Amino acid sequence: MTALTVLADDQFGAPTPDELFNLPPIIAGVDWFTKPVLLALLSTILVIGVCWAAFASPKVVPRGVQNVVEYGYMFVRDQVARPFLGKDADRWMGLLVSVFFLVLIWNVMGVIPLAQFPVASHIAFPAVLALSIYALKVYLGVKHQGAGGYFKNMMFPPGLPKPIYLLLAPIEFLSNMIIAPFTHAVRLFANMFAGHMLIAFFSMVGFWFLFEKLTPLGAGVGVVGVIMTIILTGFEMFIQFLQAFLFAMLAAMYIGGSLHPEH
Amino acid sequence: MSVLAEVSGNVTAIGYGLAAIGPGIGVGIIFGQGVQAIARQPEAYGLIRQNMLLGFVLTEALALIGLVAPFIFANI
Amino acid sequence: MSEQERRPEDDGQDFANAAWSIPSSLLAGMAIYGGGGWLLDRWLDTSAFFPIGVVLGVVLSVYLVYRKYGR
Repeated sequence: MTALTVLADDQFGAPTPDELFNLPPIIAGVDWFTKPVLLALLSTILVIGVCWAAFASPKVVPRGVQNVVEYGYMFVRDQVARPFLGKDADRWMGLLVSVFFLVLIWNVMGVIPLAQFPVASHIAFPAVLALSIYALKVYLGVKHQGAGGYFKNMMFPPGLPKPIYLLLAPIEFLSNMIIAPFTHAVRLFANMFAGHMLIAFFSMVGFWFLFEKLTPLGAGVGVVGVIMTIILTGFEMFIQFLQAFLFAMLAAMYIGGSLHPEH
Repeated sequence: MSVLAEVSGNVTAIGYGLAAIGPGIGVGIIFGQGVQAIARQPEAYGLIRQNMLLGFVLTEALALIGLVAPFIFANI
Repeated sequence: MSEQERRPEDDGQDFANAAWSIPSSLLAGMAIYGGGGWLLDRWLDTSAFFPIGVVLGVVLSVYLVYRKYGR
């Protein structure tokens, strides 16, 4: 394990991002096939499999897997789709449920034993999702409001004095077209990255002071590290769910904003 | 004197961390009190919402000024 | 949409829209005017325009958000 190379030194060293996130290929020679890629593929198979098992032959009275997945579906429909899409909610449920479950499984990989790596802590994965949502947003906006109307609604909010538009239109353009998809991806990435580093740091403290260098003075620090690891793992599970929810919610918000111009 | 601990890396990161404390507390207070106000007086929703957003904007601006301050003072 | 047919959900949705787009508006104002100031600084070999641009960007985007949502 690369994370344990610091043990060669005689001092405690906090795990660095390079050790935690720059993982070597699983099969030597196949450079692209690293742990996050493997976990992303597994998550994809898992999401497809679970949804297939639940909805391939749905029963009127749900049982087993269908019960659980239907609960998730209801959550996405009532908390994400309906508030932001209104009567168009049912058309977009397929996309939103897929995005929600995929991001949730990606994130939960961070606390599953043996996997223990949140896929979204490599920015490429959330960036691809955010870019797809962004392309969909621009396409829907141009389709439903016309190319001129879309940019006019976006850059010139009504009710401002004329000369001010010259100063404010660039801000609106940049905020909607570049900053919004950027923060969409970075919000998920940064939460997962920071959470993984926190858990790794505290478990490292516990491991180092209790198992590697057990001293009377250091034992207390080690116990604190173990307790913090447990607490932060619980907190991290909450954050993982919250970030999946927020990612799906922002996707629904962008789609809704393109379907109906702001009033 | 032997070195007990040292910090390596960019010090401006610490500056941004410190600058984010105040706005973090501020945004928490604004939305916390705002939700409480809406729960107490749902009929004043419009007014509370407007003031909540205004306070949020001003606080958020402080956090973002903290983000660019290291760049401003980089070559002073 | 007229005032009469507004449902409470619409208000909540507007609020969520506003709260999520405020940070990106502020960031965009800063980036555009701060970036312009930085480019001017590089061009004219000064160091004053970047801070001025950042402050101008903040003021403009706060004004924009205030006019857009603060009513």
